[in-house]
Amino acid sequence: MSNNINSSEDRQGTLDDESRVRVLSPGMLVAKRFFRNRLAMIGLFIIIAMFIFSFAGGFISPYGEAQVFRTVKETMTDYAGASYNEDYKFTMADGQKLPSMAQSKFVLAAHDGDTTFEVKDQTYTLEKAGNDFYKIYGAGTVAEVTYMRKLYAYKNVDDSFTDTVKAAFEKANNAGQTQFEVNGNQYEITASGRTITVTTQRELAIASKYVFNAYTEGTTLSYDFRYQAEAALNAGQTTFTADGTQYTIAIDSANDRAVVSTSDGGQYALLSHFSVSSVNEGSFLSVEYIEAAEEAIASKAAQFSVKDADGKDVAYTLAQKDNQYVIRTYQKTQLNDNYASPSLKHLCGTDGNGMDILTRLMFGGRVSLLIGFVVILIELLIGVVLGGIAGFFGGWVDNIIMRVVDVFYCIPAMPIYIILGSIMDKMKVDPKIRIYFLCIVLGILGWASIARMVRGQILSLREQEFMVAAEATGISTYRRIFMHLIPNVIPQLIVVATMGLGDVILTEATLSFLGLGVKYPYASWGNIINAVNDSYVMSTYWFVWIPAGMLILMTVLGFNFIGDGLRDAFDPKMKR
Amino acid sequence: MRKYILKRLGISLIILFFVALIIYSIMRCMPSSYVESLARQMSQKPGAKSYQEWLDQLNKAYGLDVGIIPGYIHWLGQAVRGNFGDSWYWNVPVLTKFRQVIWYSFALALCASFLEYIIAIPLGIISARKQYSHTDYAVTVIALIGISLPSFFFATILKYIFSVKLGWFDLYGIVGRNHESYGPVMQFLDICKHMILPILTLTIVSMGSMMRYTRTNMLEVLNSDYIRTARAKGLPERRVIYHHAFRNTLIPIITIIGGSLPGLFGGAMITETLFQIPGIGYVGYLSMTQGDIPFSMFYLVFLAVLTLLGNLLADILYAVVDPRVRIN
Repeated sequence: MSNNINSSEDRQGTLDDESRVRVLSPGMLVAKRFFRNRLAMIGLFIIIAMFIFSFAGGFISPYGEAQVFRTVKETMTDYAGASYNEDYKFTMADGQKLPSMAQSKFVLAAHDGDTTFEVKDQTYTLEKAGNDFYKIYGAGTVAEVTYMRKLYAYKNVDDSFTDTVKAAFEKANNAGQTQFEVNGNQYEITASGRTITVTTQRELAIASKYVFNAYTEGTTLSYDFRYQAEAALNAGQTTFTADGTQYTIAIDSANDRAVVSTSDGGQYALLSHFSVSSVNEGSFLSVEYIEAAEEAIASKAAQFSVKDADGKDVAYTLAQKDNQYVIRTYQKTQLNDNYASPSLKHLCGTDGNGMDILTRLMFGGRVSLLIGFVVILIELLIGVVLGGIAGFFGGWVDNIIMRVVDVFYCIPAMPIYIILGSIMDKMKVDPKIRIYFLCIVLGILGWASIARMVRGQILSLREQEFMVAAEATGISTYRRIFMHLIPNVIPQLIVVATMGLGDVILTEATLSFLGLGVKYPYASWGNIINAVNDSYVMSTYWFVWIPAGMLILMTVLGFNFIGDGLRDAFDPKMKR
Repeated sequence: MRKYILKRLGISLIILFFVALIIYSIMRCMPSSYVESLARQMSQKPGAKSYQEWLDQLNKAYGLDVGIIPGYIHWLGQAVRGNFGDSWYWNVPVLTKFRQVIWYSFALALCASFLEYIIAIPLGIISARKQYSHTDYAVTVIALIGISLPSFFFATILKYIFSVKLGWFDLYGIVGRNHESYGPVMQFLDICKHMILPILTLTIVSMGSMMRYTRTNMLEVLNSDYIRTARAKGLPERRVIYHHAFRNTLIPIITIIGGSLPGLFGGAMITETLFQIPGIGYVGYLSMTQGDIPFSMFYLVFLAVLTLLGNLLADILYAVVDPRVRIN
């Protein structure tokens, strides 16, 4: 279509009629016409570029098709909570429990100065051991017994549950009693189902307003230690013994705290009214940290910094909320690097799964182009065979085949793909098998127009003289169809196939866009654009969908340019 | 002529029978369809029958307990009486839903087709008149871009520019947020406003092939002997083009327009889905993905009927418009 466009320049290169007849074969003529067509050349260039991009690009790209990139982002997160402790803290004796109901009743009783309180028929006694320092007595569990077929199985047995007590318990239980007495201690038997709990009055917990912090990570401060330390603090003693170890206690009354040290002078625990607890359950906060935080709160500073394990200063911010202080800091969290903007590392950014979009575009191009070619091959195979047979034989064969063609022509293809796609969705078909299946379905539903075209061409060709000649020379039917008729249809076939490639790629992209075609983890240009179904992604991350859409447009356009150029080249009748 | 039409109608009916059979078979293959999920739901209610019992009962109620062929004959028997059953997903008779939505699709397709012809035919003619000029190249490139443009991508670009960046239109839907508070005229205008982007999408995407078609036909006419005669007579070029050539170009164009008339009712599935226009395309899409067999069956057979009707209409029109065509 370009032989007149710049006639003055091309005058020398044009072929006058003589040289055309002498030099060029018909094929060369077509090629010449094709290569002179600018649009067709642009199309050819686009398609070659797309092939290089997709097939070579996949090897060059340093990333994998489904490689997920992770990123570390610094975000301001809650680190710890701090407050001046004005409530009672309970430390339970080993193996004992103080229900929360009893804890709140205790607070009331301590406030009113009562010595006993009752919760659910249980009587608890409290003993004042110092300023805001109480010991709580109550029915404590001595043993839990499973009673089955007159056999006793003991668990959670306390030291005080000696053989004497055990014998007395079994005797009392066999007799159906709910109480028994050993050595002046009163025991109670409570049965629920097969589990029997043996309880007696004993020390359950201590309650105080002091907060204990150990100096070293991993130290657990025992019940006995806590009790003895606080007792010593209340009594004003400087030494005490707990769990058989000697401790010294240094009271710093100005700051309302006390430091407990072991006999060799090492600092062991800090007692204060200032409590800091980490947001992450069980993570250890050093005493230095607690002191720094307390200092910052006391001086009403909004920020403070503490050296971390590597000796680097870490800044913390403080925010007050009623009597609570929230300590926040920048912490590193590892995330999928999704929707990262284009950068040197990711030239087209990353998608919603944190995968490199450029790499996925390359692999997606492979899938889209390969599906296009496979589908067109299937269509050509069915279309040429059926169309050729129908056109050559005519009569009832033609009639039947053409009705089949009509049926396939009439089936609404897109809805059928959608239905089959959602069927495969529900059957959770493997993504790889899905791709093969997609090719087959697209091929089977698309051959009708090719068959029609082939038949039409053959109908007109078979009346021509060269076919009469072929028949007269006695060539077999097979050879007459496939050696003499089909080659004459090939120009049209090439044009239809080139244009059809674009159509197939469009259909595949549309299906993948709807989420019914190629599926994750495989990439296709359509399913990359699929992200725009989330309108936030569409409006914010243009780099996710614009490149894929442009690639589809360019590829289909390229095939259409080539197809158009080929049609003009094959059919010079249209020229003026 | 009448004999020809009757013969074509008869063949069309046979084709339709097989198309519907294929569609029915595919629909019946849908696993975990509506019935199964319904049975699962009902069996989970306290004191309900077992899943299997519910499934059997529901399958019987919906005529799914028989094989594909008897099931199809049952469906066909109902369908020819105009009974397409109740839609499972929309909970109303299929035809009721159809009547609710079809006019949206029709309006959309009508406006888009009208615009398409208005733009494409003159451009095609101009491009043919000035073959190999810059105009011709521009029109060819525009037409091929239109053909190559994925409608979902173009619709997204339009949304990005006009809805997100400029804020002129809503992203989705057929009515605005305050639709109920408007008067009848404003309500109509509101709907029109929501139709603009879908119509634009459809027009741009579909006008390419019409432009190419017009151009090809015009070129063919311009190369014919009677045009040469007209020129030889010394007629002004305007008269040659717009009187002699244009009329002859109209023959195939009218044929193709007539053939596309039934398609106006078919709905633009992708575009309607993208803009959530409640036309037959969007409703059909939802029904198909949700496994609503009665509505999907109806929709697919409806589309097949439209295709057949379009072909038939095109062939008849061709014979009517062009006296040179004789039907044997």
